[in-house]
Amino acid sequence: MNGSLVGAALRAASARASLPVLGSAKPQVRASDAARLEARQRQGPREPLRRSLLAWTAAAAVLTGCERRSTCPDGWCGTAVSAGAEPDVLLPPVSQIDVGAWLGDLLFSKLADLGSAPTTVGDQGFEPRLAERWAWEDSITLRFSLNPRAHWHDGTPVTARDVVFSFDVYRDPAVNSGARPLLGRIASVTAADSHAVVVRFSQPYPEAFYDAVYHVRVLPAHWLDTVPRARLAQHPFGRHPVGSGPFRFVRWEAGQQVELAGDSSYFLGRPGLRRVIWRVVPSMATLVTQLAAGETDIGFVLGAPELIQQLRGVASLRLWPYAINAYGYIGFNFRDPANPARAHPLFGSAEVRRALSMAVDRRSVVSAVLGEVGDVPEGPLTRGSWIWSDSLRALPFDTAGARHILDRLGFRPGPDGIRRRAGRRLEFELLVPVTSGLRRSSAVIVQEQLKRVGVAVRISELDISTVMARARAGRFDAAYLSWVQDPSPRALEQEWTTRGIGASNYQHYSNPAFDRLVQQATLEFDRDRARALWQQAVALINQDAPAIWMYVPGALVAVHQRFQDVALRPDLWMAWLWKWRVNPDALLPRDLAVVP
Amino acid sequence: MAAFLVRRLGAAILVAFGVATIAFLLIHLAPGSPLIGSGENPYVSAELIAQAQRNFGLDQPLWVQYGRYLANLARGDWGLSFSQQRPVLEVFRDALPNTFILALAALILDFVLGIGLGVYQGLHPHSRADRFWSRVTLTLYAVPSFWLGLMLLLVFGKTLGWFPVGGVVDPVLYPLLPPAGQLLDRLRHLALPAVTLGLIGAASTARYQRAQVLEVLGQDYVRAARARGLSETAVALRHVLRNALLPTINLFGLALPTLLSGAVLVETVFAWPGMGRLAVEAVARRDYFLVTGIAVLAGFLVVAANTLADILVHLADPRTREARRPEAHRARFGASRPAQPAGGLPPTTR
Repeated sequence: MNGSLVGAALRAASARASLPVLGSAKPQVRASDAARLEARQRQGPREPLRRSLLAWTAAAAVLTGCERRSTCPDGWCGTAVSAGAEPDVLLPPVSQIDVGAWLGDLLFSKLADLGSAPTTVGDQGFEPRLAERWAWEDSITLRFSLNPRAHWHDGTPVTARDVVFSFDVYRDPAVNSGARPLLGRIASVTAADSHAVVVRFSQPYPEAFYDAVYHVRVLPAHWLDTVPRARLAQHPFGRHPVGSGPFRFVRWEAGQQVELAGDSSYFLGRPGLRRVIWRVVPSMATLVTQLAAGETDIGFVLGAPELIQQLRGVASLRLWPYAINAYGYIGFNFRDPANPARAHPLFGSAEVRRALSMAVDRRSVVSAVLGEVGDVPEGPLTRGSWIWSDSLRALPFDTAGARHILDRLGFRPGPDGIRRRAGRRLEFELLVPVTSGLRRSSAVIVQEQLKRVGVAVRISELDISTVMARARAGRFDAAYLSWVQDPSPRALEQEWTTRGIGASNYQHYSNPAFDRLVQQATLEFDRDRARALWQQAVALINQDAPAIWMYVPGALVAVHQRFQDVALRPDLWMAWLWKWRVNPDALLPRDLAVVP
Repeated sequence: MAAFLVRRLGAAILVAFGVATIAFLLIHLAPGSPLIGSGENPYVSAELIAQAQRNFGLDQPLWVQYGRYLANLARGDWGLSFSQQRPVLEVFRDALPNTFILALAALILDFVLGIGLGVYQGLHPHSRADRFWSRVTLTLYAVPSFWLGLMLLLVFGKTLGWFPVGGVVDPVLYPLLPPAGQLLDRLRHLALPAVTLGLIGAASTARYQRAQVLEVLGQDYVRAARARGLSETAVALRHVLRNALLPTINLFGLALPTLLSGAVLVETVFAWPGMGRLAVEAVARRDYFLVTGIAVLAGFLVVAANTLADILVHLADPRTREARRPEAHRARFGASRPAQPAGGLPPTTR
């Protein structure tokens, strides 16, 4: 179908349906050849019939997905249809799922943001956003100067009052933002003038700048300052947000889609795309089907080799490998679930934990369940982390060594092949979330591999909330968990130090030497020395083996071939979507559908 | 009729109360919490979760929460969805129309195809066509809905590209189309999920309808009608079809709430944002009030659909009307009620 005809016909269709034309308040279509359409409209009395036929032809063409070739009418068009889970709410401080953060970063702005190198020490490598510049007044006082061109999507300027208000919201216990624990070392945030903000920290520390800019998306005080904080998440604003980011909110059809439009007056430059639509899909399989059918342009496809294989055959897609800053692990409980005052009868022993770690061939597990997109972690971190080093090594796969350790500890094989000591079988329960196909599949392989060295594993598949409830309560032997981390290695403090016990260190792992190294690393301003300290800490925890580091999940970002300047930020794959654009020589009909 | 409706309304309230109690207790007794989330963020501390529990009143004893829920429900407040951060009724407002549209389309396909095929088979028993359609309907009846949906989606959506592979409308172009185009777009998106549900329903309806027709064909009044010299078409339309349809109306009463409370798997396969998908997600996230609300709504729908079926039977079957009006019955039949043919209307009433 001729593309121009589609555009013209859609315009005719809009006219017939009394939809407004460019510049009005409702969605509309821009035709590449409006003049021709107007000439047609000036024709005789049979014109209504002609227009009707034209509209129907266009609708039919559009609905059957015919491709078109045309040019952007004014050099700015392009619609990106992406898909995934539905956001809970489009208000960053209270959103609890990834999609909320992904879309939140398109709608709202931070003071500054990470660049392509996700280093979190100091302020080098950060890119200006709402703050056009910043300066340290002393070791604990940071002054931001706001960009005077920054404005909310309702036209109101972004001011220091908005920044102060936003920090107040994020740190308010009534709001209960997930980012609140990360802002604990910020003593105060004040407005120096209408476009200057001063942030004071309780102490100097290397990641102070990162904390000041990374976790807080600035919110419009004039929309939210009268909303009771405890009811912020339920306020209608969360479903009709007004932000200051590169895209503005258009509509949210519950269960179906969220629509955003490029803000032509975005203070950092007009986004490359005119429209972004986030379709809600219930599963990864549905997403892959929509990508393959050409109904969706962009998809973040996790793990599952069979799904990725389906995408490999789709000529219209380009596939971008994407490393996720997350790792899955089988954590050993150091405390006896029956009596937490006692050490766990098996996992209280570092030797037993090491033997189990050495008995698992993690490479074969990752290869089987994740294929080429997964990675084998060498500790509780990923290759994308700035503290990574190729010299880091987890315990090696060595079944002979594992058997030798267990023999030495007095665990002798019984008649069923399972080892025993003092009449007790070397057996434990492994909690596995039933919602994670990846962990379910790999748990079975681990079970088989451990059986070969005489260890019995009872797999309990439970829903994720039950697994987490039991993990938090310490009612488990071993649990197959995962952590999704932010760019800072400080997450290790929450996950594995003594301070993290009662928070995220469900295993109750405690080693003062490890704690000390982590503490020193978090206070080290020199990036190289900090990296060295972190690596020493990782080497130490690898020797203690509080967990088997199982996998780093991989993903592919599938992108339609017509998109150009595609770039994925290491910590948030959609964060640079505003820099993407479409190839004007390969437009689809949907690229011409624009909103004013 | 008014007294009947009032009785049914009372029954609906009792059912809703019972369902609300059971659903509320079960979901609260299930392990896990709506506030734990995916549990993959190391910064979500026990303190944050405890604060959230206080904010939502989940730190109160169960009986206090239950009492508060019932009191709110009586005032029309169905509670707050934890996963969507908005009132449950608002969530229903978005999901119910989608489910209603899908259920209606599926029901039309189900009963039009099912009744038509069943009547045809019943009137041509043991013919080659009857045997063929019996095998087809048996196969369809045995096929899981999600498998049929996937096959239709792969063939007609992904491979041939005749229909979209998911969603309710085209996400980009729908707002730009004229009303007729919007209707066409909706119908194209509706086609595959409705056909999936409709075909499987039609298979069962056809087998049921065939059996009913065969049973009615053996009745005395049908033989009497033929003996009076009526044509086969007249016998089929006036005497067989009307009587054979009455039990199918009750089948409709059973099918409607099942479809309205959600065709879970089909909605998932086709990314159809209806009640079924909502229910699955609500249970997985332990969204207490949403789960309970869906159960209460489903209870209401069961009562409403059965009431509707009873009304339809009442309208279609003169015997039920006569039974409720003794004076009319006496006027027509005298003091004692004559014996009626089992399972059918007396030929004298036609």
